[in-house]
This record gives sequence, structure tokens and C-alpha cells, in this order.
Amino acid sequence: MEIKDIKKQLVKMLGKDKVLTDELDLMYYSYDSSFLTKLEPGKPAAVVLPTSTEEVQKVVRFAYENDIAIVPRGAGTGETGGCIAFKGGIVLDLSTWDEIVEIDAKNMQVIVRPGVIHARLNEALAKYNLFFPPDPGSSQMCTVGGMVANNASGLRAVKYGATEQYILGLEVVLPDGNVMVTGGMNARVIKNVSGLNLTKLMVGSEGVLGIITQIRLRCWPKPKARGIAMAVYDNLDDAPETVLEVYQAGILPSGIEILDGSAIMAVNQFKPQINLPDAEAILLFEVDGNPPGVDYDGKVIAEIAGKRARSVEWATDPKRMAELWEGRSITATAAARVRADGSRIFAGEDISIPLSKIADVLRAIRALGDKYGIKVVNYGHIGDGNVHTAPVINPENPEEVEKVLQLVHDIHLLAIEMQGSTTGEHGVGAVRRQYAELEHGLAVEYMRAVKLAFDPKGIMNPEKLF
Amino acid sequence: MEFKELPPVKEQIMKCVRCGKCRSVCPVFAEIRNETAAPRGHVFMVQMLRDGIVEPDEAVAERLTSCLLCENCSVNCPSGIDIHELNAAARSYIYEKNPSLAKELVFDSLWTRPGLLRTSTKFLWGAQKTGLQSLARAIGLTKILPGDLPRAERMLTDVPVRSGRSMISEVNRARGERKYRVGYFLGCATDMFYPSVARATVDILTWHGCEVIVPKDIKCCGQPHIANGKMETARSLAAHNVKIFNAYDLDYIVTDCASCSAALSHKNMEFLLGGLNIEDQAKTFSEKVLDLTLFLTEVLDIEVPNPEMARKVKVTWHDPCHLANAQGVKQAPRELLKRIPGVEFIEMANANSCCGGSGTYCLTHHDLSMKILDKKMDRAMETGANKLVTCCPSCMMQLKFGARRHHWNAEVVHIVDLLSPFYKVLPKKAASQ
Repeated sequence: MEIKDIKKQLVKMLGKDKVLTDELDLMYYSYDSSFLTKLEPGKPAAVVLPTSTEEVQKVVRFAYENDIAIVPRGAGTGETGGCIAFKGGIVLDLSTWDEIVEIDAKNMQVIVRPGVIHARLNEALAKYNLFFPPDPGSSQMCTVGGMVANNASGLRAVKYGATEQYILGLEVVLPDGNVMVTGGMNARVIKNVSGLNLTKLMVGSEGVLGIITQIRLRCWPKPKARGIAMAVYDNLDDAPETVLEVYQAGILPSGIEILDGSAIMAVNQFKPQINLPDAEAILLFEVDGNPPGVDYDGKVIAEIAGKRARSVEWATDPKRMAELWEGRSITATAAARVRADGSRIFAGEDISIPLSKIADVLRAIRALGDKYGIKVVNYGHIGDGNVHTAPVINPENPEEVEKVLQLVHDIHLLAIEMQGSTTGEHGVGAVRRQYAELEHGLAVEYMRAVKLAFDPKGIMNPEKLF
Repeated sequence: MEFKELPPVKEQIMKCVRCGKCRSVCPVFAEIRNETAAPRGHVFMVQMLRDGIVEPDEAVAERLTSCLLCENCSVNCPSGIDIHELNAAARSYIYEKNPSLAKELVFDSLWTRPGLLRTSTKFLWGAQKTGLQSLARAIGLTKILPGDLPRAERMLTDVPVRSGRSMISEVNRARGERKYRVGYFLGCATDMFYPSVARATVDILTWHGCEVIVPKDIKCCGQPHIANGKMETARSLAAHNVKIFNAYDLDYIVTDCASCSAALSHKNMEFLLGGLNIEDQAKTFSEKVLDLTLFLTEVLDIEVPNPEMARKVKVTWHDPCHLANAQGVKQAPRELLKRIPGVEFIEMANANSCCGGSGTYCLTHHDLSMKILDKKMDRAMETGANKLVTCCPSCMMQLKFGARRHHWNAEVVHIVDLLSPFYKVLPKKAASQ
């Protein structure tokens, strides 16, 4: 079918207000946050903005019947090109479908449509003293649908885990247009082991199996108290040691974050009022729970950190805590501030490594940066081994681009070699699928078989994940 | 300077990592809700323009001009990109390739000539007083105006007969001992639509020991020209104003219009005049520029006189984008409100969200502007205030229209209007001289 006819049919189905067909408008959907789409943007044939399951079904059925690729998209904040239609096709922009369908406070659950912004959801839940614990740094802009599709986690995964632990059930539009309901989507229970766990299969499937149109989430009671300990290190190697010792002392913080010297500089340049100390690294331990427990944890962490750190700051003042946490949250994009003519790139940015090897990996990444002559800012969720590396380059300098692509390839290989993974929470998308066989071996064949069972025509977000 | 060589275009585009933070703070994106309205999308489109992938035509201009230039994205951008400057530079580039006679008439022939502007205002006043405006509406003449103007013309109400300029002298002596010699930048909108604000500003400044100089030939600050792609005209206006103010030996240059103080600020002067011969003079000029609220609280540190004139009033404050975002001035107006006897200040939610006015935006994108305004009014009305206070004439016009649109009987006033009654009593200082 010709593109102009695809556009015409889509407008007929959804109306012109929910379909973008102008070539100029379509260009805006050729990127996400990945470095890949800076180098190779992928323009779709059309963009639709559905706001009902029926509308999604109509579009998917049409695509199925005409062998047209379908690519779901949330806020486009991903770093893997996962929401990009590299070879044309229809992009489903689900970000405008942002209804919180029901907050079932008594059963500690909430039902949402995929476009709900993470921060808005937690604002709504706070009125019931509930919260949805996974806390991606992009909370203000990312959608819950995108979090589910990528199994996102973020800053509090140490204690609260990833998105998958909170998904009770899903409504999914399958590639043939039929609607499948998984797990407890239509129940109101917390425990449910009935049947094959298709919910878990869908979470993190990055749109290659179907379109997630409704999500039943489990919520947790909002902790009464919170505190943040900041430990300041003159020697980066001392930081991972502290983390291990805190765990050994029986303390489980909600989050443990690390910023290296460059990351500290970037944060201070963006928001001077945060005023992080100049150091080789800082660790941020967030603890939450009931007030006496938080105080106790804070004291123990301060004692342990004090053995190696130059100084330890214990903050319970909401303003200071917000500053420190914001400082960490914004590091991802503020990293570019370390170089006047540079930009941080999202590539090789999400490796996951064993806790016992963190110091080795951080040293190895530093050496790789030196090898290629590229400044690399390191930060991340040290508490669960998820290190974010931010190479800062001039992306318009072809030599630097070539070098950085080598660098990130080496970082990915390093992660696998160290018994880690190429991605801890950002997903695979288009940028890491080349490592699928290296990471998963034979399992990739079974992944392909699952994909085939759901999507025999291969129209769902093609050429992603594996 | 060539478009590609402009500092924001040359140095900042590549910094955008498309993180999407700007999506969460953009008032226009909140309404349009697809990527074409995202500030990062504008950065992307400017890049496409720079790289010659898209043509500098009306279609691209249409996308870029959906932006209010409120600068909320720029101040929240973790990568430190001046997204509004990129957008403004692109508008100018597109305009140069697609000049329009109508814009030449409005922005070059009319808006660069203060005398002609005042005459036009008198015509508007006449049209209102004689009922011509109402007649034109009644017989449907206004409907033939282009674009959104048929709906937007309703915002033009209460045009005063006298201009601010006609009510103040070039040199206004300080009461008592002179502390500072201050240049007053009388903006077009204050001059034409809120002359009493101009008069009161001069009275307050002179009361507190300032000799106030209002140069005769002040021209527009250039803000409307920047928004409408007339960058070259904005440059020549800026250069003109720099020269005429620098001709006086001034300690400070003060304005009661947030948009003007933003336009005259060092940041904007650098954007407009950086790299040109006049750069150093512009620096000397802009280093003296302060918004009135900042000048009154931080330099003069005023105590409002005649507190017996106090009347109890509940007020809430709207942060003009050009003050809070462009200049980072948020505390000064709140501090000033606290110093006014009788004022009970109630902070509204998201006080620094744009009102949707943005100079000519409410005319060119009326429907969108109204949606943004409605949100603002909801938050303002929630406070239960009986006065909505701000310090930008463009915001005032928009908010006044919003109050009428929502049948809210609170008064929309300039902060100077709240101060003014305290300075109308026979001044003790002057009386004792």
C-alpha cells in the first residue's frame, strides 16, 4: 500500500486530529534520546495518537492486514531507538492517552492508561498515602507505558526493585488486533499464580509482542520518613567498599547512588545551589521507612562511610534532600556541562555489573576513556551495580563520533566479560540488539520463537530487542 | 551575522540530548501534546534548518512560532541550551527569506516610531469612544481580519487617551537629597496602555531620592521584533536605546516592564549585539539595567511611606516569564508586596507558569493562548485574592481579559498601582524642605 493511502486510511479511521501525516510533522518522530537517532533518524510513514483500546485495535488491524510495521512510543525519552520506525511504518504515540482509570486504595492498586506521566501518577497516589516505587530519573517526563515496555527501574531499585514487580496485569492489543488480558488485569488481587505468567513476558518486551493499552499496578504505602546520607570520597575505589559494608551491616537503603568527580562538576554547573563538594566521588544513600528506623539506618551508614570518606552529610531537611536527589536525577543530561563544546551522548550508558566488580569496572571505563581520548562521566545506581557512563564529545566531529562508537562497544563487551549485562534498565531497542546472542546464546532462538507465536507477520516494532 | 554562525546555532544545537525534560515544563506542549510542539522538537527543527534538510519556509515557521518564547524550557534545560534564542534566530532566518509587507509596516514603519505608535493608540481610543469598534464588531467588519485577529481584537479595551510620555518630563528631580541618577526606560505598552503606571513609577523613584531621566527618544525594546522574526530591526532598536541612555551619566537604568528589562538585560544584549562594534557600549548599558522590583527592594531598600493609607487587600502574584525565567527574578516582587502596608499575600500554584499573552502571541495564536490563560486563571482564582498583581503590561492585558472571560471580579493591577496611593499624600520630606 502506498504511503499516501496509508495516511488517508488512518485519517478515515481516527479523524485528522489524531493522525499526523505532514512530512514535516513526521520528522519530529524520527528521534528519541539515543545517540543512534542523532546519527540515523528514522522517520515514520504516519503517526497516530490513539486514546482508546478500540482506536489502537483499528490501527493495528489495519497494519496487520496490510503488512505495515507498528511502533509504539511513549514520551520518546528512551535511549535505545526503541520507539523509532527506522524503516517506516506507523508510530503509535500513546503519550496523550494519560488517564488514571481507577485508584483502588483499599486494595492498594491503580489502573492507568499507558500515557500517564510517572510523576503525575505519584502525585495522584500521594493523596492516598500510596506510591508507585520505581523512580526513573526521567520521572517528570516518562510515561508509565514506556516504563512497563522497558521494565524501567531507577534510583530506588535497591529496595523496591524494577517495574515488573508492580505489574499485576495488563491489557494488550495483539498484532492481529485482538485484545488479550494478562494476569490480574480483571481481578483485584495482589497474589496470583494462575496460568503462565504472560504479564512478566510482556513487561520489558519493548513493543515487539503487542501494544500495552492498560496497566494494573500495585502500589505501596508511602514511607513516613526519609533521609539521605552523602559520603564524600577522595579515592573512588573506597566508594564500592562502603556499599558492600553497609549491606553486610544489615541495612537496605532505598537507593545508593554514585557520582564521580566529573558528574559532581556537571551538577554544580547546572544548579550551583546544590553545591556538591569537590571530590573524586560521592555516594548518596537514601533510606526510608518509619522515623526511628530511618535515624538508625542513617547513623549506621554514617559510621561505616566515615571510615573511608572525607566527610559524611546526613540530611533529613526536605529542601536539602530534594536538592541532593535532584542533583543525582539531572546528572544524566547535565553531564554535557563538563565540556563547553561537548554533549553527553546516550550510548553504552546502562551497563549492569556484579557488585563485587564495581571498582574494577569503573577503573576499566576510565582507562577506556583515556585510550580513546574521550571524557567519560560516571554515575549511577551503585547499590544494584547499574553504572551509567556518559561519554562527552562533540557529536558533530566525525573523528570523535568514530572513536566514541568504538568506546561504547568496548564498554558493552566489558560488561559481558565481567559477568554483567549490556543494559540494567534502559532496554535493548535497536542499539544493543547486536549483543543479544553474545549475552543470551541459545535463548535468543526461543525469544524469536515467542515473537513468532505472537507476531507471525513480524509487524510489531521490527528489528528491536534481538 | 549568518544564521549558521550565530552563537546559539553554532554552539548549542549539538548539546541537545533530547532528554525530553523540556516536554514537562512547556505550556504549549501541555496543550498541543505531540512532539511537534516539544521544545526539543524546536531544537531539532532548527538543526534541520541549519543543515539544509528543511527549507526556511512558512511551514517551518508555523511550527517554530507555536512557541511562546517564555523561556521555561531554557531555564530547565539540563544541557544549558537557550532554546528560545535558537528559536528566535530561526524565525529571523526564515523571515529574511520570506519577507512580508505587513510585517514591514507593523514592525519597521510603525513600531520603530514612538510618535506614530502613540497616534495609532489615539485612533484606537477614538474608535472605542465613538463606538466605532463596537460598530465594526456588530456589522462583522472585524471578522475579515486575518488569522486569529477577529477573536483577538476583543482584548483591546480601555485604551487611555493620554500617553505616559505626555504625563512625565524628561528630567524629574529627586525629592530631598539625590541618591541616584536613574534612567527610566518607558516601554511602549506602559506608555500607551498604562500611563498611570509610568507616572507612578516616576513618583515613587523621585520620592526615594532618585533623579529620574526619561530620554526623549526611547524606542521599543525590540521584544516584539525578536518574537516576529525581525531580528535586524531589534538590533537597530537596541543599538539606538544603548546610545541614547549612554549619553546620560546614569547610575541605574530601571523599567517597570518585565519584558523591557529582559530585552535590555545583559543576556539579551549579548544575543543581539554580541560581536558587533557596539558590544562594549551595550555591556556598559546593560550592566546598569534593573527591573523596578529589584531596584526598589535591593538598591533603594524602600520602606513604603504613609502606612496610615493602608487598605486591607488580598493579593496574589503572577510571575511574568520575562522576569522569572529570563532574569531569574522571583523574590524581589514578593518582597516588595510584603512591604506594602495592608497587603495579605497569597501564593498561587505555579505562579511562574506563562499566562499565554507573550506580547503578540495572544493575537497570532489566540485559541492556544486562551487555553493557557484559562489554566492560569484557575490557579489565580483558587487563591481567593481580590487583586492579581504583576509587572508586565502584556501579562496585564492578557490577565485582565482572563478575569473578564472567567467573570472574576478581582482587579488585575501592576505592582506600582498598589504602591501608588501611598505616594499621593503630601510628602513629608518635600513639605519640610
